[in-house]
Amino acid sequence: MATRCQYESSNEIGVFSALTNSYALAAIGGSENFYSVLEAELADHIPVIHTSIGGVRLVGNLTVGNRRGLLVPSTTTDQELQHLRNSLPDGVVIQRVEERLSALGNCVACNDHVALVHTDLDRETEDIIADVLGVEVFRQTVAGNALVGSYCKFTNQGGMVHPRTSMEDIEELSSLLQVPLVAGTINRGSDVLGGGLIVNDWCAFTGMDTTSTEINVVESIFKLQDQGADTIVNDMRASLIDQLS
Amino acid sequence: MVVYNFKKIAAVPTAGDMVDIVLTRTQRKTPTVVHPGYKISRIRSFYMRKVKFTQQTIQERLGGIVEDFPRLNDIHPFYADLMNILYDRDHYKLALGQINTAKGLIDSLARDYIRLLKYGDSLYRCKQLKRAALGRMCTIIKRQKAAFAYLEEVRKHLSRLPALDPHTRTLLVTGYPNVGKSSFMNKVTRANVDVQPYAFTTKSLFVGHMDHRYLRWQVIDTPGILDHPLEQRNTIEMQSVTALAHLQCAVLYFIDISEQCGFTVAQQVGLFKSIKPLFANKQLVIVVNKVDQQPFETLDPEKKAMVEELGKSSNCELMTMSNVTEEGVMDVKSRACDKLLQARVDQRVVGKKVNDVMNRLQVFQPQARDGEVREAFIPDSVREAKARGEIGSKDHKPKMGRGGYAVTTDDVNGDVNMERRKTERDIMWEMGGPGVYSMDYRKNYLLNNDDYKFDVIPEIMDGKNIADFVDPDIELKLAALEEEEDARIAEKEAAGMGEEEESDLDSDEEAAVKAIREKKAILRQKKQDNRKNTAVMPRSVRGRKKDKHDNAMLDKNNVKKTLESLGVEADGIVERGRERGRKRSRKDADEDGMDVEPVDTSGMSNKELKRHKREEKSKERRSVSIARSHSKVREPSQQGLKDDAMKKVATKKDMLSKRRFEGMSGEGDQRKTVHLVKWMNTGKKRNGTHNKR
Repeated sequence: MATRCQYESSNEIGVFSALTNSYALAAIGGSENFYSVLEAELADHIPVIHTSIGGVRLVGNLTVGNRRGLLVPSTTTDQELQHLRNSLPDGVVIQRVEERLSALGNCVACNDHVALVHTDLDRETEDIIADVLGVEVFRQTVAGNALVGSYCKFTNQGGMVHPRTSMEDIEELSSLLQVPLVAGTINRGSDVLGGGLIVNDWCAFTGMDTTSTEINVVESIFKLQDQGADTIVNDMRASLIDQLS
Repeated sequence: MVVYNFKKIAAVPTAGDMVDIVLTRTQRKTPTVVHPGYKISRIRSFYMRKVKFTQQTIQERLGGIVEDFPRLNDIHPFYADLMNILYDRDHYKLALGQINTAKGLIDSLARDYIRLLKYGDSLYRCKQLKRAALGRMCTIIKRQKAAFAYLEEVRKHLSRLPALDPHTRTLLVTGYPNVGKSSFMNKVTRANVDVQPYAFTTKSLFVGHMDHRYLRWQVIDTPGILDHPLEQRNTIEMQSVTALAHLQCAVLYFIDISEQCGFTVAQQVGLFKSIKPLFANKQLVIVVNKVDQQPFETLDPEKKAMVEELGKSSNCELMTMSNVTEEGVMDVKSRACDKLLQARVDQRVVGKKVNDVMNRLQVFQPQARDGEVREAFIPDSVREAKARGEIGSKDHKPKMGRGGYAVTTDDVNGDVNMERRKTERDIMWEMGGPGVYSMDYRKNYLLNNDDYKFDVIPEIMDGKNIADFVDPDIELKLAALEEEEDARIAEKEAAGMGEEEESDLDSDEEAAVKAIREKKAILRQKKQDNRKNTAVMPRSVRGRKKDKHDNAMLDKNNVKKTLESLGVEADGIVERGRERGRKRSRKDADEDGMDVEPVDTSGMSNKELKRHKREEKSKERRSVSIARSHSKVREPSQQGLKDDAMKKVATKKDMLSKRRFEGMSGEGDQRKTVHLVKWMNTGKKRNGTHNKR
């Protein structure tokens, strides 16, 4: 089920929040509206945690995690780290990373098994990602963009990549990640998928601008409803062609 | 793609208003004061500026009108035709043309008058020329009264046309009047078109929107049309025909088989046939309407055959529908949409464009690269919720359940739907809303013991950051350390049985050492106590007498007294101290210097005497310059001047610059003199009797 929402009238909710299979992070804002959208859907199953990273709201941009762990940048304060540790379930490891590219969320995309990372990331960071998140790490670009975390989004069940990725590239990525992939947009044509979308294996949230076509693509590729990923090929083909070309 | 928005055309003023606008603008934005005493060139340019400015304003205004209105040749043929029908193409073009001509006339008129103004030889004549120019311009504008009025009407009407996009997915509803077109429109969209039981309720095109297959569709409701030749059609009908002729759309042709609309089935079939050419290249669905009144099956066989024949001959399908029972409405809608969508997709697939988006139409399945299984991770609670149908089913509604984020009455009254979880947002509104309420994030902590949740943990303790010492294994490590300590103590006890170390000093020595240490400590402490937080006095001031009561330590007498009390001969020291820092005087130098012995001049010749005298003189001069140990300071006003000649020149220039202007006062003269009012400054007067007000 995908839900449309906004963070303080910004559609880039992926910047202000992060979602995994075992926890969700939400930025501290002026009101509880955005938090409660996540809370209503998720709090019965996983903790939804208010936090900032180094006093900054860009929680989704700065952190990366999956169900096993959470990596935070070196700017994170001791108090924030303590707060996160207290709020996260015991099974989740939290680790502060000394990395020049401190926007980890932009530089790393991962699910519970595989991660794509920015080509310039440190060796040590790569090792930490592999150890803490328990994933295979690949240095890759998506449609020529090194910021893999911003331009693609994938879970254990499926993924979306930048709309300008060539078909060969998607095929390669799909085999690398071992999940079905499709190119697509979010927020009425925005290619910054990491910014407009947070998703885990059963639930997704998108920016308020997202069209119903985009929502349906999200729901089918991430297998959020009973339908499979084939919907895109079968039912939606006509709509997509008419809208895109 | 061009977006047609006719709402942005600026309002067209009436001719009278236009004249007012132009003239007031000229008055406000150009200089207004001119005197006959001015130079004639200045007077001319004053009036030329006025004429030119007026012309520019008019140019701007009229140009704006001509630019704003859409040009019929440039817009989509549908709009061009619609405007032809509604406003009459010729009339419209003529009006815009006239405005344009007027603009040209005013340009050339202004040019002529500016030329004439160059020959104006007095203020009066220039003024008359300006008056004539402005007057004639206004006349030209006034002559366009009708055009202005017409264009304003057109503008008003245009801005009220529905925002219709000729390129998008469109369903077009057509048929005789009163066959249920508008009712259908109301059923499938939220346009809320007026429906009345008489013909021609709908007098113009209406646009509604709906969603189908994740896309936005435009539905156009057209006025009903009658079956007569094109020339006899009225404006209302012609709008329908225009829409039919120019829009790429799916057409729904409505037939009222109950004949309640007042037209027989035969008539409606006839109309279909006569407007059939308009359906070429369009997706057509014949909608048999009002089947609640007259089911299609029980229709008079003759009529039924006629209608069926119609479907067959035009190669389209018949669909039955009733707006009252809503039977078939959705079928008609989706059938028409699908047909149009299919046609549009076919059209696009032929072109190249579809290749660019192929990656978005296709799901790329991975090829297994190893035997590993990478499973999804869905918590059991989620699986259970899914099984209950709370998550992931198509009818699952988001739990938010309230439109938008604005505060609702429920929020204010605290009337929360108990089926939902009570969210932080509900609590926020109970506690005073955003900005007032702030959540205590600690309440969701997952700790071993819930009592720990709200414990206060200091950030800094004993000057150390607590976080630096946080270690998950700290209990274990502590236990290990304690164990080690115990072991060592036990070891020691076993080895020495509690004997103390011996010192190699005897008791006296030890006491002395102790005393020394204590004294040292005391001294150190004293020194520290004496240290004050004050500025260090400079040596030259330190110990000097500040006032007569001050007993200065370094005062001459004090020093003497102190020294004498110590048995030291003080005179010499005091003298030296007093002289210290005093400058060396010339007298000293003379005393120190060699004495020049006077030369004996008695036995000298006249010539030698003269030479001697000269030498003496120069020696004297030089001795003065030598004696001066530093350069002479000049007067500040002459600093930077080389010599007297230079100084002279500078003084003269300075004097000249200070001289006041004494020539004739002309118009370039910006001097302000005291304004002397004659009546105030002449005649007898006494204090308080004359007031400038």
